[in-house]
Amino acid sequence: MNDRIVFHIDVNSAYLSWEAAHNLQMGSNIDLRNVPSIVGGDQEKRHGIVLAKSIPAKKYGIKTGESVYSALEKCPELIVISPHYDIYMKASKAMVDFLYDYSPLIQRYSIDEVFLDYTNGNLPYMEAAMKIKEGIKKELGFTVNIGIGPNKLLAKMASDFTKPDKIHTLFYDEIEKKMWPLPVEDLFMIGYRTKKKLNSRGIFTIGELAHLDRDYIYSWLKKPGLLIWEYANGIENSDVKISKSKVKSIGNSTTLPFDVSTKEEAMKVLLGISEMVGMRLRELNIKAEVISVSLKTSEFFSYSHQKKLNIPTSSTNTIYKTALALFEEMWDNSSLRCFSISLSSLVYDDFIQLSFFENFNEKELILDKSIDNIRKKFGQSSVIRSAFLYSGIDPIIGGVVAEENYPMMSSYL
Amino acid sequence: MKIIMKPIEMIAWFNNTNYPIPLRFRVETENKTNIVIKIDKIVFKEMQKIAGNRMIVYRCEGIISGLQRTFELKYEIDTCKWYLFKM
Repeated sequence: MNDRIVFHIDVNSAYLSWEAAHNLQMGSNIDLRNVPSIVGGDQEKRHGIVLAKSIPAKKYGIKTGESVYSALEKCPELIVISPHYDIYMKASKAMVDFLYDYSPLIQRYSIDEVFLDYTNGNLPYMEAAMKIKEGIKKELGFTVNIGIGPNKLLAKMASDFTKPDKIHTLFYDEIEKKMWPLPVEDLFMIGYRTKKKLNSRGIFTIGELAHLDRDYIYSWLKKPGLLIWEYANGIENSDVKISKSKVKSIGNSTTLPFDVSTKEEAMKVLLGISEMVGMRLRELNIKAEVISVSLKTSEFFSYSHQKKLNIPTSSTNTIYKTALALFEEMWDNSSLRCFSISLSSLVYDDFIQLSFFENFNEKELILDKSIDNIRKKFGQSSVIRSAFLYSGIDPIIGGVVAEENYPMMSSYL
Repeated sequence: MKIIMKPIEMIAWFNNTNYPIPLRFRVETENKTNIVIKIDKIVFKEMQKIAGNRMIVYRCEGIISGLQRTFELKYEIDTCKWYLFKM
């Protein structure tokens, strides 16, 4: 157990590096990594947030996730590039293919992060890491950080120490020196809210968290508390998962180019998202039991409601009806900019348990299936609901890359 | 050599080895006329995988308006497009 060697390979400012490398290949004479530049969403459509930044842009105090508008205020000569997900998919796939030369045990954790089990590798681990890092730089034209540790958590923490183009190790005997002095929010799984909670009781570093009494943290924060306490002590023992992990929830959201203030428009948006999530569910042959809707107002205040159904469903109509009911329950007539629907408690649809109290219409299943087949054959816009005609709202809303399976981040290691 | 990166029309020979062999290409010049350049010699070729995008780079020699010149061509495998990369 103790002699596992896990690598965590993390692309340095992934989207930006990939854009820069691609542009150089296509004959551009500036390397975006050396000038203040960002990859950001379309401002016209109000998707304008910073997705990735170059290191010179970081010096202006630009942060990932802030709006493109405020980034431009900080640095007027900033170069803004729109994202090209097809390039990122290609680059990410090339990196994974490259890594298979070193180990067959590879977990694609997200589009730019990979875990690799090097326990039974041929080379000394440091030599292998050097070869991987230099190989990717030479062959694929971008830099990575590699963290080496005895488990996935410590490997991930190590790859985050200093960037770019570096290799760090974090073994059990190094935890005290390398991890414990870090601020507590640097620990995996600790977000803004947990940080506030911990800070309120005087816990500011990972070391302080690690030294707490196990029973004390359990009585205070319950199970998630134990998890972060274990993480702070470097305890984590999940395998590098070769196969794709099971889907836990499916959701789509959209930020509209305009604010929605009438119920008719909101209904159409919800219907459009329902179409998308319904299609995705049916594609994976699963059904969902819990439907949740969340809204963001034009003042960036968000709220959500959810409902558990008696019969798991994958029908667009049922999803839409439930979403609409939830929407009516919580909407206070304020103008809305962002809608999302998310489905969870997923079950495989080999069989379903029916209920006395809810209608179940088998014809709907058949209808959805036929519509999916038509769309698959003739394109997504071949059959649309007439409600969307001349409405200016897309009949099917959401999705980063429609066809390909885009590996998203998850909070499970 | 300067970077040009201009799409070109190409006649190439695809044989049973790994790489297509460029023979002749037509490119539009600055004064909007087309010129045809014959590739006399391929000095070297190299497969590039920058950001996962596969391109074959050819360093070639040929005669352009009476002068022997060296230039580089690129073939993008995913799109099957040829470019005059540098001259």
